[in-house]
Amino acid sequence: MRKRVVGEAGWSHSAIAGAVGFIYFFPVLFIILTAFRNRMDTLATPPKWFFSPTFENFYHIFYRSSSTTSEYISTGFHMYFFNSIYISGMSVILALIIGTLAAYGFSRHPLKGNETYLFIILTTRMLPPIIVIIPIFLIFRLTGLAGSYTGIIMMYTCFNLPFSIWMMKSFFDELNTEIEDAARMDGASERSVFFGICIPQVKAGLAATSVFALILTWNEFLFALLLTNKTTRTMPNAMARTIGGEINVDYGLLAAMICLFLIPIFFVTYALQNQLLRGVTFGTIKK
Amino acid sequence: MNSNNGFIGWLLDPKRRGPLLIAPAIFVLLLVNIIPLMWSFGLSFFKFRANKLKAPDFSWFYNYEKVLQKEKIWEALQTTAIIVAGSVGIQMILGFLLALLFAKKFPLRRILLMLILTPMMLSYVAVAIFFKLFYEPEFGLLSQFVQQFTGEMYVLLATPAGALIGVIIADAWQWTPFVMLLVLAGLVSVPKHLYEAAEIDRVSWWRTFTTITFPYVRSLLLLAVLFRTIETFKIFDVVFILTNGGPGTATETIAVLVYRTAFQYFRTSNSAAMGYILLFIVIVLTSLYLYVIKQRDSEEI
Amino acid sequence: MIESFKKFLLVALATLMLVFGSSKVAFSKTVEIVMAAPDWPPTRFMQEYFNSSFPQSGDTEIKLTLDFIPWSNFYTNVAASLTSGEQRYSMVVSDSQWLGAFIEGGYFAKLNKYIDADPELQAIFDDMHQGYKEGYTTYPYKSENYYGFPQFPDNYINFYRTDIFCNPDENIAFREKYGYKLPCTYADWETIVWDNVFDINAFLTRKKGEMLAGKPLEDDMFGITYQAGKDYDFSSMQINGFFWQQGGDIWDESNQPNAQAEGVVNSPQNVKAFQQYLDILGTMHPSHKTGGMGIFEMQALYLEGKIAAMINWVGLGAPVVDPNVSKVVDITGYARQPGTMQDDGTISRWANLGGQPFVLTTWMTDDEIDAAFKIIKWWLSYDTQIAAVKAGGQSCMKSIIYSDGYNALAPWNAAYVASMDWQKDVWHVPEFFELLTQQQEEFDKAITGQIGSKEALDAIAAFQQEILEEAGRIE
Repeated sequence: MRKRVVGEAGWSHSAIAGAVGFIYFFPVLFIILTAFRNRMDTLATPPKWFFSPTFENFYHIFYRSSSTTSEYISTGFHMYFFNSIYISGMSVILALIIGTLAAYGFSRHPLKGNETYLFIILTTRMLPPIIVIIPIFLIFRLTGLAGSYTGIIMMYTCFNLPFSIWMMKSFFDELNTEIEDAARMDGASERSVFFGICIPQVKAGLAATSVFALILTWNEFLFALLLTNKTTRTMPNAMARTIGGEINVDYGLLAAMICLFLIPIFFVTYALQNQLLRGVTFGTIKK
Repeated sequence: MNSNNGFIGWLLDPKRRGPLLIAPAIFVLLLVNIIPLMWSFGLSFFKFRANKLKAPDFSWFYNYEKVLQKEKIWEALQTTAIIVAGSVGIQMILGFLLALLFAKKFPLRRILLMLILTPMMLSYVAVAIFFKLFYEPEFGLLSQFVQQFTGEMYVLLATPAGALIGVIIADAWQWTPFVMLLVLAGLVSVPKHLYEAAEIDRVSWWRTFTTITFPYVRSLLLLAVLFRTIETFKIFDVVFILTNGGPGTATETIAVLVYRTAFQYFRTSNSAAMGYILLFIVIVLTSLYLYVIKQRDSEEI
Repeated sequence: MIESFKKFLLVALATLMLVFGSSKVAFSKTVEIVMAAPDWPPTRFMQEYFNSSFPQSGDTEIKLTLDFIPWSNFYTNVAASLTSGEQRYSMVVSDSQWLGAFIEGGYFAKLNKYIDADPELQAIFDDMHQGYKEGYTTYPYKSENYYGFPQFPDNYINFYRTDIFCNPDENIAFREKYGYKLPCTYADWETIVWDNVFDINAFLTRKKGEMLAGKPLEDDMFGITYQAGKDYDFSSMQINGFFWQQGGDIWDESNQPNAQAEGVVNSPQNVKAFQQYLDILGTMHPSHKTGGMGIFEMQALYLEGKIAAMINWVGLGAPVVDPNVSKVVDITGYARQPGTMQDDGTISRWANLGGQPFVLTTWMTDDEIDAAFKIIKWWLSYDTQIAAVKAGGQSCMKSIIYSDGYNALAPWNAAYVASMDWQKDVWHVPEFFELLTQQQEEFDKAITGQIGSKEALDAIAAFQQEILEEAGRIE
């Protein structure tokens, strides 16, 4: 019999996980299927699981039929997509950098009002955004930030800071400081302690924070709706186009957009999985 | 080591390291978040309607009184509390179980993990619209499934209880992966040799769990509860699209009420007051929560 | 040397003039009008048709840029834009009910002085159908203060399945059971009143497998459907019609400050009317039990062939004839919605109008105002309006809707035009949203069976009385 290694399991485990995963994933599967079928098949009763797939919906993401001629007009979707990637990417990176530094500061160099600062940072996430939308709108207008990339990126960075700070601080707190002290005594500078010792150990935290921050900004809707203009508009806005108007939701078009929209996040998360799952095998002992 | 001359030296002095590190964060937050919050807060002490040309009149606690007297806000808070408790509760339990499932290495793990993480990556609007379709009496999968057994269309959203359940399930489904991921990050950071030692010592599963696994996971689990609770209090899109606060006002959460007051009724300062009452409640709850955590932390030591 | 250089200059100059002269050097300035518009075909048409057919004249080029905002966020976006003072839009497509809120906020401009000064505009105003003029342009409702022009006029009509209603066997069976004809043609539907709908729905509600129109049903079938939706103004739009048809009324804005809400909104006629609405609703597709069967859900049911008829906006008609989304393209007929028999033998068909006007904002410059009126005159001209109707739009200009051939432009035009004489509107006051939302909530509770019709109307009347007194609109 194969020696059972701690932390590993065999195919029977896979089967259970597979079943659970499938059930959980089912609604998403429905969305993906919907992207490839026309509306009548989607709304068919009883449900039509076998249908002839069509790429019509994906085509409609990029081209819209004209009201006056029989030509097709570009919808400018590729721009929305690019905007989403750029804006989310930048704000996640910024939030990660600023947040991790701040978390390190809170953790290793606690100030007198540490708890209070951390708490206030947390409270900025507690209000429904609709309350601050008008003053923010006004401020953006006055400073000329409305519709610019800088403005919305700053906004999103700000959304992600509380979580990244709290998350990374939690990881930093768990680390054993003995190693760091030893390194310092050996003459290593603060910078090399930070980058060489602390950061590698909290990779899982960094990965998780990035994923969540990315998801949050990627799908953010209200502020994108109001603070972006034609050139900086993001994807969720485009999705709103499929709802209401002459017909109830255009399920196929929406599903197709969702599929496209999922792809970048999917890749990032998949790539970061390593960091997320690989254990810390330094042999460090919990404090 | 560091040169201790001049401004740079002063800046890089170890004592100031802390503030230096946190300064950029505070700066960004101040600019983009705190100033608008202060503006809103100030506004709640005036009588102001965004669509009237009149300048705001200062009126102390008028708005707060008015808001607290109206039954509506208490109903909305109650509804919100139910949704938060239900959804976060499910997320915690389900998330934890799922994390346990994925804590070991097994074939196809990476792919299956992605399947479970996907719901979290969808936008609120997407989830709300498609769950609304699932709950549809005519076209929805749920109703059709029940029809196989009863022959009648099943209308989940017809009753207040049903509507609440519908909202809770949609929200919990979307965010359980969040909890799972956090817990998983904790589970995998447990050093393997501890488990190996436990196995050699023939420690029971439960003891292994409580003494080795749980401590590593605890802080992350608590973080998950904290953040999910705070976020779920603000729930808006899912409710708005799925039920629009209905039937009647059965699923009208505080965020929906605030939206209506601010944007549809243009009672701007009223809505600011509402928002700050909510903020106050969430602050109290969070402080309580953090306090209890700290107590238990110190007890353990 | 100099000679050849001069020649070169001349040639260069001539070339330049040719190049630039053939483009827009004729215009000395450009005026751009930015208009906030919901993103759907009627507005898309306006943009495209403008780009291709607007007759530029004089030395000022006029550019119309429609800022397309998805319908689902249209209100939020427009409200945020207006109230934040960003002054981005010169013109706005507005729902008629929002007029009061935005006029009192100082955003929408009063147009009387411009109309009085311009005979062409006066002619346009006179040409508007009275009910729509009052609905789209006046604030307070029915006063002589004018604020807008029609972008897409709309009303409710009846979309019904000709294959079912005109089937001879079904007809015979119905007549045997109920003694009158199952309505098939437009003329047949003219005689139908709401009481008949009980019969029709009882007759047409069948289970899967039963026969209908000669074929076994693939799924459960239901009869005529109207909306019962909590979102926005859905239920109210249908219920208001019931109130008016039975001699009741909503709070009368044109009679401020004397008109009351208490006693009017919960009058015995209103209670009876609302009860009838609920009773008929009970015979409709079970979807209404969610309280969320609005205009879109109904449309989806009809397009998929699950209901025999729907009473819905003309604006949602285009998908009915689109084979990509509709299973009932060739088997749909269009008629007026049922009415209520009055004591004198006539049928009352009062209903709440729909559609949107567009307005001018108060911060426009004189150049912009000139340009805007040129655009308006172009938009409401015969050619443009006809082109709009051909592309799925609608008109409410009398000279156009009563002209020959109008009814032939779209299959629902006959029903639409005939219904126009029976349109009223809901309030335009700024408190509109509060009144509407509470009303919708109470209606929703009644629709989902949580409270009774009288209880709902009493609650609504009390609330409206309170809000309107607070706002000084009732004394």
